[in-house]
Amino acid sequence: MLTRPTTDQVLVGIADELRDAIAPEVHNEPLQVLLGQIDQILRGLAVRSAHEIAWMHEEADTIAAVTGTDVGWPASLHLDDVCRWYDSVSRALSATLDAAFAAGDAVRIAELKLLLDARSATEMKIVGALELVGRG
Amino acid sequence: MLDPELMPKLLGEFLAKRQPAWRNIKVSSYEVMTGGYSRLLAKAVVAHDDGSAVLVLRGDPPSDKSLIFTDRETEWDLVRVLNEQGIRTPKAHHFDATGEHLGTKALVIDFSHSQSFLPYVAAGGSIDGLQVRLAEALASYHAIPIDALPPQLERPESSEAYLTSRIDEWRRTADAHVEDLPILRYMAGWLDAHRPAPVPLTLMHGDFQSANLMITDDGHFEILDWELASIGDPREDMGYFKAVAQIAPPDLLDDAGCEAMCARYRELTGLDEIQVNPAVVAYFLILGVIGTVRRLLEGGAEYANGTNRLMASVFNMNSVQFGHSMWLPTADALGPVLDQLAAAAASAQENV
Repeated sequence: MLTRPTTDQVLVGIADELRDAIAPEVHNEPLQVLLGQIDQILRGLAVRSAHEIAWMHEEADTIAAVTGTDVGWPASLHLDDVCRWYDSVSRALSATLDAAFAAGDAVRIAELKLLLDARSATEMKIVGALELVGRG
Repeated sequence: MLDPELMPKLLGEFLAKRQPAWRNIKVSSYEVMTGGYSRLLAKAVVAHDDGSAVLVLRGDPPSDKSLIFTDRETEWDLVRVLNEQGIRTPKAHHFDATGEHLGTKALVIDFSHSQSFLPYVAAGGSIDGLQVRLAEALASYHAIPIDALPPQLERPESSEAYLTSRIDEWRRTADAHVEDLPILRYMAGWLDAHRPAPVPLTLMHGDFQSANLMITDDGHFEILDWELASIGDPREDMGYFKAVAQIAPPDLLDDAGCEAMCARYRELTGLDEIQVNPAVVAYFLILGVIGTVRRLLEGGAEYANGTNRLMASVFNMNSVQFGHSMWLPTADALGPVLDQLAAAAASAQENV
């Protein structure tokens, strides 16, 4: 299969066309809002398509190390299988968090919190600069 | 409201029934408006023999286009109470409770001629002293006696029980989503470990943010969009306001602004400094967003499950992730301050 231009390149290209060629011709306010939202969604999808499978694996490795959990491996590298596996990794992290809070273990909570900080940092690489299109 | 082309005729007929004193009603314009999370909004200019009126219609969208469910009848009953209590909000005139007249359940309210707050600021309007006005706006509807509020609004057992329920909502929201959400579970544990001193329950707006504020000619805030109102902890509205203002400036509740707002609010309500202060507002910044976060996540889950097809539901996942990036560092900074306040509250209790 042809892999270039890559998915992320094409998604950014579509977003650019919508912003530069289509949006100026749209004068209906609800449609302008919709286009603004689609622009941000497409740019986030471009980042995800380029990195999300790798990022989920990298985060799972760290969670496994910190929680001491055997997180296994996805059934395949197809996105749906990886997402299902990543969900199970997240559940392991949540269970460890609940146990730490129940025990009042501040040191353990602080260790686990670093994992969440890292997850949030990844999310913000995807979201970029959030603009609340259509509010206010 | 589902078909804007038909609306001038339908609205004219509806008003002729509800406003028999208005003769020769003519709906001269009907414009669809944006704003709000989920309601159909439109502005209509209506002329009749004795004058004219500019009205806003707020109606339910079709179920597959509805981002969240809120009840129009409760909103109608509540806005009528607000009007009776003299709260600065547009007057509600009519309600089509079945949708037989306007095509969907809809309220007909006054169009506000005040200026939207965000465009006012964008145009260079001064925000000096508006923190005090914000406190006054909050205190105005927080002072409405619970007994005067519509019976459909659930009455929590106590402020402590309410707080427990809100904290649990973080866990319930995490449990209900289409994928696991450890950041929400962490926040639930943190909120539980840092509870502030209780205050009496009041009406809460539920979506108290700059986008729902207008500024009147004499510099007061007028409040719009009560569809998410409930009875709960009044400080949630403050925290929610600050949460949204950090994403969509101006942040009237920056360090100095929040202190000024809290001071005026305490003056108006009689609450003390342990109950209302910037650290507690920041606590509720986190706690108070869960209602909206839950609704946004429900929309995202429905999209993932194929039961809605709203691009806004996908877009709103960005807001949730932005929230993650705000809550986590706020919790780090706030924990020690809340621990000190809890110690002060315990000490005060011992002295009593």
